[in-house]
Amino acid sequence: MADTSAAAALEIAPAAPRERKGLRIALWNVVSLLVALLVWQGVSMLLASPFFPGPLKIYDAFVQLATRGDVTGNSLWTHAWVSIQRVLVGFGLGVLFGVPLGLLMGLYPRLYASTRSIIEPFRFIPPIAWIPLAIIFFSGLTRFAFLIFLGAFFPVFTSTLVGVARVEPIHRKVGVVHGASKLWILRHVVVPTVLPDIMAGMRVGLGTAWLTIVAAELAGGISTGLGRMMVNYAELLQVPHVIVGMLLIGLIGFLMNEILLLIEKRLFRWRWSVSL
Amino acid sequence: MQQKTDATPARPKVEVDTSHRYGDLVVHEKIRFDVHPNEFVCICGPSGCGKTTLLDTLAGILKPTSGHVLIDGETANPKRQSISFVFQEPSTFPWLTVRQNVATGLAIRGTQRAEIDRRVDEILEVVGLKGAEAFYPYQISGGMKQRVAIARAFATDADLILMDEPFVSLDQPTRERMQQEVLDIWRRRRRTVIFVTHNLEEAVFLADRIIVLSAKPGRVVADLPVRLPRPRDQLSPDFMELRARCMAHLHPRAAGAPVTSS
Repeated sequence: MADTSAAAALEIAPAAPRERKGLRIALWNVVSLLVALLVWQGVSMLLASPFFPGPLKIYDAFVQLATRGDVTGNSLWTHAWVSIQRVLVGFGLGVLFGVPLGLLMGLYPRLYASTRSIIEPFRFIPPIAWIPLAIIFFSGLTRFAFLIFLGAFFPVFTSTLVGVARVEPIHRKVGVVHGASKLWILRHVVVPTVLPDIMAGMRVGLGTAWLTIVAAELAGGISTGLGRMMVNYAELLQVPHVIVGMLLIGLIGFLMNEILLLIEKRLFRWRWSVSL
Repeated sequence: MQQKTDATPARPKVEVDTSHRYGDLVVHEKIRFDVHPNEFVCICGPSGCGKTTLLDTLAGILKPTSGHVLIDGETANPKRQSISFVFQEPSTFPWLTVRQNVATGLAIRGTQRAEIDRRVDEILEVVGLKGAEAFYPYQISGGMKQRVAIARAFATDADLILMDEPFVSLDQPTRERMQQEVLDIWRRRRRTVIFVTHNLEEAVFLADRIIVLSAKPGRVVADLPVRLPRPRDQLSPDFMELRARCMAHLHPRAAGAPVTSS
């Protein structure tokens, strides 16, 4: 079959137009962002209220926080780094426990069915509801890691669990008829099938992790963290500084999500498209 | 392939003697036949003859209620013998490239890297997938995917290759081309093949021997050697006559053809 490769080549969607389309979309994103900033600045100048700062005021606050630090002497970067560390540790633990447990219970549905009444109610206790207990039991990094773990664990666990059910019996059978061990099937059939669900769960978990960290830091008891910094400035009625904290949280969350998406694109070249 | 039919080996490659039931439902009633080394056997039967059960039994992944399947004198067991399977439905792994898919059977058996590469190259050449190695299944046609599955089966040094209606989902021209290709690969790689099909033309075209099963419960109703020289002409009188005989066994009441049991 000499024509095979040529025929196959014809069936490949050309990549070039897609790239050009991506570039155009990126351009439009920049344009819409600029327009939004302009409108915002315009409105704030019309209102001329200290409670409705425009982008320029916020930029000033940002420079001040980034270079000279806040009222407690901690710089913006210290706050951000502390928050990021807490999220990474808690989120990492959530993935570390969520994936193996999800795989285990997915592969042995009876295990899940018979422990469901323990697991499921916990899922519906929001991590925020754990804050009072966490304040009593833990301090420092452990407290935040615990809370974020609770927030990240369930999305990862649940989507892994559901993903295992998606394993095609025929794919399992290909392994079995060729004499594959259980471990081989786990590594080469189950994990590749579930990986997209794991990644999706991780992205949801990351969102929950950020939600939790800010709430936990707002609840107080500790002097650093972006949430803490925002509360400090809210008490001083310094709106621009609060908004700097908000925007930075949004930006860091966005970047982390982009990193996960990038990893997904790398891992899932075999799929037609990567979900957003 | 004259010398093959002449050289009758001392012992059959595959000895089948199984009965199977699910509760009260008798699926197989004493299915008995032998397959010789390098033989190409087609199994034909109406729907409901329990072909999935039979294939699973032959592959050693289902234990028959009574009886046995012996491969080289040993109970069929995919962990002990090397058995390969081509499924009816698409069975390539979507997350692996064509090359990685073809290598799967070899990889499971722990074949050395260099040896895998050598064999995969060889079989890719044979099935005409050279140049398509780096594609993922979503990028190739259904016919090519099935060719990948066939390559995967023939890449291993399988003692036995089981094929479960591998061409039903293909269109007629592709199907005919693939039949010819399977014969070519089989001739070059010298493997024992058991091929299940509902299609009598396909069976007469491919097989050294045709085993006809009855419906519910499945029993062997005919075991017909096919002595036509290859390549076979589907329009020759001998071909048509054999096809009619198979048909008569398959639907004994419908056809008026003479029923000759072996």
